[in-house]
Amino acid sequence: MTALLEVEGLRVDLSLPAGVLHAVQDVSFHVEKGETFSLVGESGCGKTMTALAVMGLLPRSATRSAERILFEGEDITHAHERRMTAIRGARMTMIFQEPMTSLDPCYTIGDQLEEVLLEHRRVSRREARERAVFLLEKVGITAAASRLKQYPHQLSGGLRQRVMIAMSLMCGPSLIIADEPTTALDVTIQAQILSLLVSVQKEYETGMILITHDLGVVARTADRLAVMYCGQVVETGTVAEVFTRPLHPYTRGLMRCIPIPGKTRPGQKLDTIPGIVPTPIGDLRGCLFRNRCPHARPACAGEGIEEVRLTPGRSYRCILQPEENPEKAAA
Amino acid sequence: MNAGILRVENAAKVYRVSAGMFRGGLDLHAVSDVSFRVGEGEVLGLVGESGCGKTTMAKLILGLEALTRGNIFLEGRSVRKMGHREIARRVQPIFQDPYASLNPRKSIGAIISLPLRALGMGNRGEWDEKVREIMNLVGLPPRLRHNYPNQLSGGQRQRVAVARALIMRPRIVLCDEPTSALDVSVQAQILNLLIDMREAMGVTYILISHDLAVVEHLATSVAVMYLGRIVESGPAAEIFRHPLHPYTQTLLASVLTPDPRKGLPKVSLDAEYPNPIRMPPGCSFHPRCPRAQEICRSQRPEAREDGGRRVACHFPGPA
Repeated sequence: MTALLEVEGLRVDLSLPAGVLHAVQDVSFHVEKGETFSLVGESGCGKTMTALAVMGLLPRSATRSAERILFEGEDITHAHERRMTAIRGARMTMIFQEPMTSLDPCYTIGDQLEEVLLEHRRVSRREARERAVFLLEKVGITAAASRLKQYPHQLSGGLRQRVMIAMSLMCGPSLIIADEPTTALDVTIQAQILSLLVSVQKEYETGMILITHDLGVVARTADRLAVMYCGQVVETGTVAEVFTRPLHPYTRGLMRCIPIPGKTRPGQKLDTIPGIVPTPIGDLRGCLFRNRCPHARPACAGEGIEEVRLTPGRSYRCILQPEENPEKAAA
Repeated sequence: MNAGILRVENAAKVYRVSAGMFRGGLDLHAVSDVSFRVGEGEVLGLVGESGCGKTTMAKLILGLEALTRGNIFLEGRSVRKMGHREIARRVQPIFQDPYASLNPRKSIGAIISLPLRALGMGNRGEWDEKVREIMNLVGLPPRLRHNYPNQLSGGQRQRVAVARALIMRPRIVLCDEPTSALDVSVQAQILNLLIDMREAMGVTYILISHDLAVVEHLATSVAVMYLGRIVESGPAAEIFRHPLHPYTQTLLASVLTPDPRKGLPKVSLDAEYPNPIRMPPGCSFHPRCPRAQEICRSQRPEAREDGGRRVACHFPGPA
């Protein structure tokens, strides 16, 4: 069986006045039907660029290359823009962080929801409206029919994000890309929105790419994940594998530097990752984490820091062997 | 018992907002009847969702907004009788976004020394020396004082904000979401810095945050705000272990700890966060409360005190 989405050797370069920024470097991953795959990392690590590259939504200053991007068995690596427009919004949809900027303030919720279906399917406006009401109810919006006449500014942040989720489901997509879908929301709303995403995704067997910087969100919602650093995937695995036995020093560092209620002792100093995230501009060589890595050795600056694949879904990019790791697993 | 370096008594802030053309104004009760006290060297965590009034509370303490009712005492003196400079000498802020809170046209040295210059403390020679001293303390190389904010990383910028807040040795530092704009790997560095500075200078913190993990890590006491009121307060360890107010319980249940064995929490709040202009009658939490009874809809619960803990609920108790 082939995966829903297969990405091999994806690269994205951005031309900046300061040089070429290698936003995504040789990134490979796959997403299965009905699965939540998470791209995790800090700002600037290339997680959003990876998603935009798959969608064909990169800014003009960016150049993309890939060995292969297979979506539902179709090779879309060199797909024409017209083909991508047909796929986007119908088979592959995206939910952004801030729903207010993705909804058009000048049109009603109903207009915007119906447009998606009218654009991609041969349906009447009445059928489109029925589908919109059905999905608004599905995402837990009460009095759905009357909401259709409202404008985005009349809704709260949580409701707007529910509308975005309904919109992404209009054509029954097989892949949803959610970019920090709950970062702009309050904690109590965050749990509701994530539960909603997961439940509709399971019901329709939709695949999901969940982009986030929040390890709590990943641990509670994703099936598998890829940790990104400086444009590279440094570790992949199932959520259980990565959280119980992180193999890359960066993953371990990330997991240790956040305060965890019930685990970290209040008032105690937290572990830190020293230094700052470098910008991947110019000629890149060796491991990009080596300047901040507690286990760095001279060989880390050399060539040949390749991804080590333990099993098809479990890999890490580090020259230390797991057995060599001074610590077996993060506490 | 400590009289409290900061005492807030029945503080209230009402904003007049327009209801539309020709309709006159409406009252928005941003903060209502808030009372708490913070002892010297304590860390008070002020938590709640957006719109609960925590930032308004911060502005009242900093003297950036005038109280509508009630009073705030800094080291026993009423802020109503103090000028801006006197307040600034005692309380200094650290804001959320170090990209917005530092003037891009000023050098780091000028930014950090601003409180000294504005309050007329010391002379030019002393300023430079104090800047270098505080930069060392917060982990910034003093040579950076000739640089500008855009040349610094987010973490370094937040260190500048910490240095600026501490340079004239205030008694209280008010941190409004100090790490929310930072990456996780940088957040730990700044949290550690705040812990260090508390030990080094004995400063008292008021920590405003929506991130309960951060609050639990730093705070010694906690006040939970909902729609402008404190619904529960007390020692941090007790609040986090045995929350009594249903809202506190919901908030704590919503925290997603990175534990893959746990799924998503079932959050019982289905109603939306209410509009603060149309405050619900009775207990303002009742439309979202799983325990709401008739009395909650008509009568506002008074805060009841029990062994240092205060809960404003008709039916407090474990979840």
